[in-house]
Amino acid sequence: MSAIYRFLIILLPLIVLITYGAILIADKDDALLYFEPKEFPQFDLQDLEDREIDLAAFNGISLLNVWASWCITCLVEHPFLTQLSKNKITLIGLNYKDSQMKAKQWLGKRGDPYIFSIYDPRGDLAFDLGVTGAPETFLIFNQQIIGHIQGELNQEKWQSTFVPLINAATMLNK
Amino acid sequence: MIGEIAHFLALASALGLILALIFNAFFYSVGRHSNQDILSYKLFHQSCLLIFISFGLYIYLAITDDFSISYIANHSNSQLPIFYKITSIWSAHEGSMFLWIVFLTLWSTLFISSLSFKHPLKKGTMLMLTIIILGFLLFLLITSNPFERILPFGVLEGADINPVLQDPALAIHPPLLYLGYVGFVISFSFITAYLFHGDIHYPWEKDIKNWSFVAWIFLTIGITLGSWWAYYELGWGGYWFWDPVENVALMPWLAATAFIHSLFASSKSNILKTWTLFLGILIFALSLFGAFIVRSGIIDSVHSFANDPQRGLYLLGFSGFITLISLGIFAYRLPNMQSSKLIVTGSKESFLSMNNILMLTAIFSIFLGVTYPLILEFINGDKVSIGPPYYNTIFAPLILMTSIFIMISLEALWQRGMQARTLLIAVTPTFVISSLILYFIWYFVQIFSLLAYIGIYSGLLIIISYLLKGAISLKNKTYINKGSFIAHLGLGLLFFAVSMNSILSYQKNINLFLGEQQFINNSITEFKFLDLQNIKASNHDVVSAEIFIVHDGQPIYLNPEKRKYFARGQITSETAIYATALKDTYLTIGDQLDDGSWTFSLQINYFIKWIWFSSALMVIGILMTIFKKKIS
Amino acid sequence: MKLSTIVLFGCIFLAAYLPADAIYEFDNSVKEKRFYSLISEIRCPKCTSGSIASSDVPVSRDLKQKVYELILAGSTDKEIKTYVTDRFGASSDYKPALEGANYLLWFGPFIFLGILMLIFLSNRRL
Repeated sequence: MSAIYRFLIILLPLIVLITYGAILIADKDDALLYFEPKEFPQFDLQDLEDREIDLAAFNGISLLNVWASWCITCLVEHPFLTQLSKNKITLIGLNYKDSQMKAKQWLGKRGDPYIFSIYDPRGDLAFDLGVTGAPETFLIFNQQIIGHIQGELNQEKWQSTFVPLINAATMLNK
Repeated sequence: MIGEIAHFLALASALGLILALIFNAFFYSVGRHSNQDILSYKLFHQSCLLIFISFGLYIYLAITDDFSISYIANHSNSQLPIFYKITSIWSAHEGSMFLWIVFLTLWSTLFISSLSFKHPLKKGTMLMLTIIILGFLLFLLITSNPFERILPFGVLEGADINPVLQDPALAIHPPLLYLGYVGFVISFSFITAYLFHGDIHYPWEKDIKNWSFVAWIFLTIGITLGSWWAYYELGWGGYWFWDPVENVALMPWLAATAFIHSLFASSKSNILKTWTLFLGILIFALSLFGAFIVRSGIIDSVHSFANDPQRGLYLLGFSGFITLISLGIFAYRLPNMQSSKLIVTGSKESFLSMNNILMLTAIFSIFLGVTYPLILEFINGDKVSIGPPYYNTIFAPLILMTSIFIMISLEALWQRGMQARTLLIAVTPTFVISSLILYFIWYFVQIFSLLAYIGIYSGLLIIISYLLKGAISLKNKTYINKGSFIAHLGLGLLFFAVSMNSILSYQKNINLFLGEQQFINNSITEFKFLDLQNIKASNHDVVSAEIFIVHDGQPIYLNPEKRKYFARGQITSETAIYATALKDTYLTIGDQLDDGSWTFSLQINYFIKWIWFSSALMVIGILMTIFKKKIS
Repeated sequence: MKLSTIVLFGCIFLAAYLPADAIYEFDNSVKEKRFYSLISEIRCPKCTSGSIASSDVPVSRDLKQKVYELILAGSTDKEIKTYVTDRFGASSDYKPALEGANYLLWFGPFIFLGILMLIFLSNRRL
């Protein structure tokens, strides 16, 4: 009987050790790949130019980028987004809790990488999407959200998180 | 220059410890006290001394604003009062690790010198302690060097310290906590040496009893201080959030409490030895686990030091290494340790066993709560959050069971069972009185919460049973352990106060213009926004409100503040509290709305003072136990 | 003094005592208690840890406002929590749902207790 206890007394701490070691070494970014696809929520908003929004824009692959003129990190992210749009990635903006005038000025000054930006002054759509601040970016495929990054989108995150998801989605659809 | 000296001393200390280790291990022979021993003891104590001098110099560097030291530049500032320059040393990873090592060394050198030269376990304990200190010292010097310089000239001024850290309670909370955490290295090492030595008849409990009590006191005070600070500073009116970092301090505390109880049985009637030995090892193992969790970056917490997995792996590996050594020796000796006597059901020992089981279950629950989210996310990416709702639900039944067993155990005898009749006569009054009080509480308060009522009832069972026992012993002039009496009253009071606080406390959000007043409820008949001032202090702007409140007829003036610090733009809220024995009137400023009015958050928190008082009672009880022998 | 003046002063005097618009104003205390209880169980999505009750960041305020509106609209606690977790993920509820692997979480401690008691009862020489 006591042999089992002696064995367990050594084994259990060892299991704890190995488990925590594994968790520590594990690459946290992989977790983002376990994303559960979600329907894009309904909304009743216009874009920054007061035009109606064509939901057909969400077909295929697109990125919904949450930004605002008051958001400093968005400035850092902007060049990369511009580069993406030049590489024919569809970018849709979600202007979050901002003034329409300041937002348009911001785009005017720095360039507009978005095909259009949804104007969400109260953050209603953002709330339904689960946005906690700016910048955040959603990966959309045929009106479904299949990825979500909080914080700045850069080459590294694009490569490690969004690209695999895009490949998986387009492969499934073939 | 001084920085280099301090650094050199730390390195020299490490070298000294390595030599002490080699000498000790090489010449280790059970029972012989030779010249080599003197050498290894000297090396050990002198290496410890070097660490103290090194830290002393480091304090000097901090006080004299030596901003060529990277850590001091990042965490201190020439405008700080001297007190905060010193306490900034342990405000982040490298410095607090240094403090941890200093305390480890302090406990070790004091304990080893308290053992006589001929003490059979002196060498073995010193060996274990040397390994542990060395492991952490090398960790410090290699991965987390507090002596690193900013070359070539350093910086002119330090970074601005987080204003939240400029608080006396928060400043001394780490040292007190560490003294407790780290103090149990003594029982860990001594027990390991004892088990390795193999002479099971040696009365080891006596040698570490008081050391363990003192460490327990520091741990209790450290945790309470953190809780107290959170209550009056953070503004949300709570004092415990079951944050992972709070949890990893609570787990050693639970193990330590079980240990000191088990120690009684072990030294008194030679029973529960295996339990006690195991617990003595577990406490420090949990402390090590705590250090790992906080410093590895594995858990997101407002408390944790920002860190990298490299450091985490070292800490995990090293902690695992020494824990497995200790437990390995324990497992090896297990058959020899079993008591020749059977534990009788219904005896005091059986209840102490039950107490140990419940404490271990509590520890396991917390461990599960901390580990489960990590494993789940690791396996399938699911995220789950565990907080007060989980822990309250799990702990309520555990606390009830504990209270019932405490109550029954008061009637139990050593090594003998109890008669059912005696038991019934003894506990029925407590059950009846407690139930009556609970009913009265429900009748007056008219609020029901299952978990809270379980907590209230548990607290009542303990308080009433001890009071009755105390009254009977006073009347019959029989013996009662006064320290235990006070400490357990403290425990019962803690359960009672925490539960009453949770059902009675309430909150109101108030919106007023300057000069306006409002009727809140029958208890708070007046709330008047008297004045608003904008003040400029040395490193921050202040918005200070003066509020007049009439609470249960008592006029109260409160001055909550909002501060904006220039350096980082950080905004903090200073809570204004008016505390009476029964309840705290707790007020924070919210924001100014677009229409110019201000919002306030008013909380009435009940029984807060009783919570702090219950912790004090527990500490006083243990102090009485330590000094009992000296008096009689 | 003219009657109208008295009435006017009376009104002003009374107005000072009328409850001004509280931020989260409830008509009954049950709803109010539910509100404060719920917001202490919903995790702040942006903070490293802590409930929305103890957090003042914009998304926490939005959430508190939403919970307030949903309570007034008659939603149950469960519905409100589902509303929040649908948007911010299962980790925004500090009370893990009783499903799947979470059974281990909720019952684990008591299974552990049972095992320890069995060990103790079968081996009295510890």
